Amino acid sequence: MNPTVIKAIALGAFVLGAWQMKAEDSKNPYPTTMTSIDPYLMDRDAEIAMARSAAPPSIAKDATVMVLGRHGYETAVEGKNGFVCAVGRSWDLQKNNPAFWDPKIHGPICLSAPGARSFLPIYFKKTELAIAGRSNTQIEDAIIDGIAKGELPTPEPGSVSYMLSKQGYLNAGIKGPWLPHVMFFVPEIDPKALGSDLGDDVPLDAHEEKIGRYTTIDVPVSNWSDGTPVNPNTDGHAH
Amino acid sequence: MKTSHIVVATYLVFSLILGIEQWHVLKAHASNEVKVPYSAMAPLEQYLMDRDAEIALARSAAPDSISHDATVMVLGTQGFEIGAEGKNGFVCIVERAWTSPFADAEFWNSRKRGAICYNPQAARTILPITYMRTKLALAGKSKDEIKEAMKAAVEKKELPALEPGAMCYMMAKQAYLTDQGITQDGAHNMAHMMFYTPKINPAEWGANMDKSPIVIDPRAKGDPEPINTFMMLTGTWSDGSPAPLS
Repeated sequence: MNPTVIKAIALGAFVLGAWQMKAEDSKNPYPTTMTSIDPYLMDRDAEIAMARSAAPPSIAKDATVMVLGRHGYETAVEGKNGFVCAVGRSWDLQKNNPAFWDPKIHGPICLSAPGARSFLPIYFKKTELAIAGRSNTQIEDAIIDGIAKGELPTPEPGSVSYMLSKQGYLNAGIKGPWLPHVMFFVPEIDPKALGSDLGDDVPLDAHEEKIGRYTTIDVPVSNWSDGTPVNPNTDGHAH
Repeated sequence: MKTSHIVVATYLVFSLILGIEQWHVLKAHASNEVKVPYSAMAPLEQYLMDRDAEIALARSAAPDSISHDATVMVLGTQGFEIGAEGKNGFVCIVERAWTSPFADAEFWNSRKRGAICYNPQAARTILPITYMRTKLALAGKSKDEIKEAMKAAVEKKELPALEPGAMCYMMAKQAYLTDQGITQDGAHNMAHMMFYTPKINPAEWGANMDKSPIVIDPRAKGDPEPINTFMMLTGTWSDGSPAPLS
């Protein structure tokens, strides 16, 4: 895997990976609150398909699928293997990210059962607040407060997610899904203890997510969820 | 001597010879003296390496940016000892066959050289397992005895609890993990990382599912050490050259 591409990851947030921040313009073209949910909504079937494309069919076909409705996420398909697939939206980013309200952002993800228990409550809380008209700062403050009070969870062992979809749009720079990758979530530890940030030759990138009090470990993989291989000349590059 | 006596005597002699032979065969089976590969520990010398070569192999388990500041352990006649002091918390080591799953038929394969660089969390919690198994192997214990001792150590909580974030790099091109060809090019090695979790159902991670990039050795059932080891191929060796991805 191209190490310079790997180093472009900064990751962090549950769905989108805050790596996109580095490629964003500093000027924010978006308002400070959600003015309407309409631009964020998708055709239901398309959203189900996009959510499922985050993981190989062997995992996604039996997963629960959640879709965004006017009042928050709702179950579109009941699963039976513990995985939950969804398409994350922009308000999962950190509050200072200029793309915080960018409706083009779509992060297909399939979370393991422990991952779903650990992160969906936080993301759904963000969604609830976003739809209620809260600002990016208010949303982040509420999450920090909720975790501090123990009302929101921190990562369980076994929290892992798949982001192998070709269909995502994670970054205004890349204008696409970046590279297929698996994300592990562990309680907050120094990324350097995982080898991250020590050199461009390390095949993973870790990021300390101080708001959620966890560390993500991103491991790029060689194939998209449909089994096609990554094209090192085109995939994951900025356009 | 009558002819009938000669026949009987000859029969008795041959029976005795055959009986002794059969007894030897049975004895050999009973004591594993028959030629079953890797049925017992080979002479210790077969597991030992030149010290500098071992340090180099151990370091090659991870990219240089990690391993050049890592502590390196080498195997001596009394167990593992420090070959080089490090400063970043990583520990690189060439593990021998007895750290394999107990269900592995190559448990005593003296050719195995599992070069690994553990991150600090794994060095504190996985390496003690390696050291304990090594101590038992060098003391002449059998596979079953080692397994029983490890089981007892787990039950008595003599081993440290697994820390979150424990993982390791196994990207050494010169490692030898098994006699079997395990990659598309038939190599005895593969460039990968391993992530450790408490014992959970591998399906919970989507491991070993069709087209899943996460795999788990089906022989490693967290027995007796209550740990799951999930593997992901890296696609490159530690020197940056391409490695098989399947």
